[in-house]
Amino acid sequence: MTFSYRVRSVLAGAAALLSLQAQAAEKVTAGSLTFVSSAPLFIAQEKGYFAAEGLDVEIKFFGSAQPIAVAIASGDVDFGLTAFTAGLFNLAGKGALKIVAAQLQEVKGFEGSHILVSNKAYAEGVTSVDKLKGRSFALSQVGSSFHYMIGQLGEKVGFKLSDMELKPLQSVGNMLAALKSGQVDSMIIVPQYARALVNAGEAKSIGQIADYAPYQVGGLFASTRNVETRRPMVEKFIRAYQKGIADYRAAFVTGEEGREQVLASVHKYVFKDEDAKAAYPKILSGVMYIEEDGRMDAADIYRQVDWYRGLGYVDAGVKAETFVDVSFVKPLTQPPAK
Amino acid sequence: MRADRTPVTYRAGGFSPRMIQALGAASFVAVIAALEAAARLGWIGPLSFPAPSAIGAALADLYRSGLLAQHLGASLRRLAVGWSAGVASGLVIGFALGVSTFARSLGLPWVAAISAIPKIALLPLFIIWFGIGEGSKYATIAFGAFFPTVINTFGGVDNIPRNLIRMGQSFNLKPLSIILAIVLPGTLPAILSAFRISASIGIILLVSAEMISAQYGIGAYIIEQQNLFQLDRLMAGVVLLMAVGLAVYGIIAVLERWLLRWR
Repeated sequence: MTFSYRVRSVLAGAAALLSLQAQAAEKVTAGSLTFVSSAPLFIAQEKGYFAAEGLDVEIKFFGSAQPIAVAIASGDVDFGLTAFTAGLFNLAGKGALKIVAAQLQEVKGFEGSHILVSNKAYAEGVTSVDKLKGRSFALSQVGSSFHYMIGQLGEKVGFKLSDMELKPLQSVGNMLAALKSGQVDSMIIVPQYARALVNAGEAKSIGQIADYAPYQVGGLFASTRNVETRRPMVEKFIRAYQKGIADYRAAFVTGEEGREQVLASVHKYVFKDEDAKAAYPKILSGVMYIEEDGRMDAADIYRQVDWYRGLGYVDAGVKAETFVDVSFVKPLTQPPAK
Repeated sequence: MRADRTPVTYRAGGFSPRMIQALGAASFVAVIAALEAAARLGWIGPLSFPAPSAIGAALADLYRSGLLAQHLGASLRRLAVGWSAGVASGLVIGFALGVSTFARSLGLPWVAAISAIPKIALLPLFIIWFGIGEGSKYATIAFGAFFPTVINTFGGVDNIPRNLIRMGQSFNLKPLSIILAIVLPGTLPAILSAFRISASIGIILLVSAEMISAQYGIGAYIIEQQNLFQLDRLMAGVVLLMAVGLAVYGIIAVLERWLLRWR
């Protein structure tokens, strides 16, 4: 049929045009979790900030932080956006990846992770942070940010890590279930989950981690190979990421400017199987602080690496100065002088 | 006709595999040496596979810190309790399926259906039923050891030559005597092979069992090192599991030689 022939040729022409355009844009992959913490990445993608920089970004989703780092090391993804863990520092220390910008931060005065205790422990008298000493504490894994937070909290209020009974439970879901059922006494968790538990009367909040130990939670990672051989591409990616952060901050952190539009962008990735009415409040309760331009608290990252090294969770040979790269974005705090 | 007169040598020797311990040991040494050489020459990067010497150093660290005994002790205790429970109940059910029509008709479909479940899929349920303490760890291993024992045991009962049982019945032996004097010894080889398989599965399941809330244990140590991306220590944990596996095989081989000396 001539009609179908014509349709086909038009389609073929369109496909050729599309592939030309795709060739023009530089292909880049980024690994991320489907959390609100990765919102700047989603915003940059949806609002075309990557495209404006001439990047064709494909976002790949992972179930937890560690596989993202491994995927960067293996060259499967170019960038990763996730929380710091001892495992990630070990990989970075082996020369696989670099931290080039900031993600979440725990800062005083902006709601962040809550310190929760089970109703049972609360009834037994664990009503303030200093009474956590000797209690059990749920964490996902050894060397995760939960581990760091309880260690820092202890240093501030006067208990040692060895005073706590640490319970690695592998996932946040298990942690929540264990706290609800009173099988563990305490945990530290992002506001999204903390509020839900407290509002349902299933746990008590006894404070926020940022009031005791503010810290740099996560960052943007790039493979060492890309930093060394494709620096202009890395710069473009970070510029678009910073624009995403600017929108995120305007809508969630400093005010409500363009909030609906930003929520719509984020909703395409986070809680996407729920309708907007149900998803938007959840996204809003997951909002945490991200510093302007993705500037990182470099001094704190050094502190984290030292802390993990002191416990033997990070190799003796791992040095923060080999992978904390402050040459792309002016850091919030300077790394300590050597 | 001269060919007819050539004497025929004895041909029916069968395959009679023997175990030359030295050959097995030499292959271990060769593989370790090859890996070490590849690492030293830079053919294998430290991100791909740690050098055997690094694994050895990690093991030495573990020993020096005193944690080795704690990890091994915790895991061996879980293995002993979980495996014994799984094998004991598996033997009972396996024999029942082997000798009773009623038990077989009722139980076999269940065994077939449930044995295919990956035990790790049930971990959240085990945690709710048995808590995050030792209970869920014992249960995971017991559950894993149970099914191969059942399947092997009733298969072993099935494979006993019918004639032997019929002969016992003709001589008017009581059913209990038939089970004790004919079925049990006849099933022993299958039971011992069930021990082997279920012990391997138990060791494999140590890693799943110790995922949740274990401070000590080889499985907990391996998971910890996975999360920390410490490949040398990860492999040190794997080597420990291999050693436990070898030891268990050794013990079962001794048991086999003693129990099956009548063969």
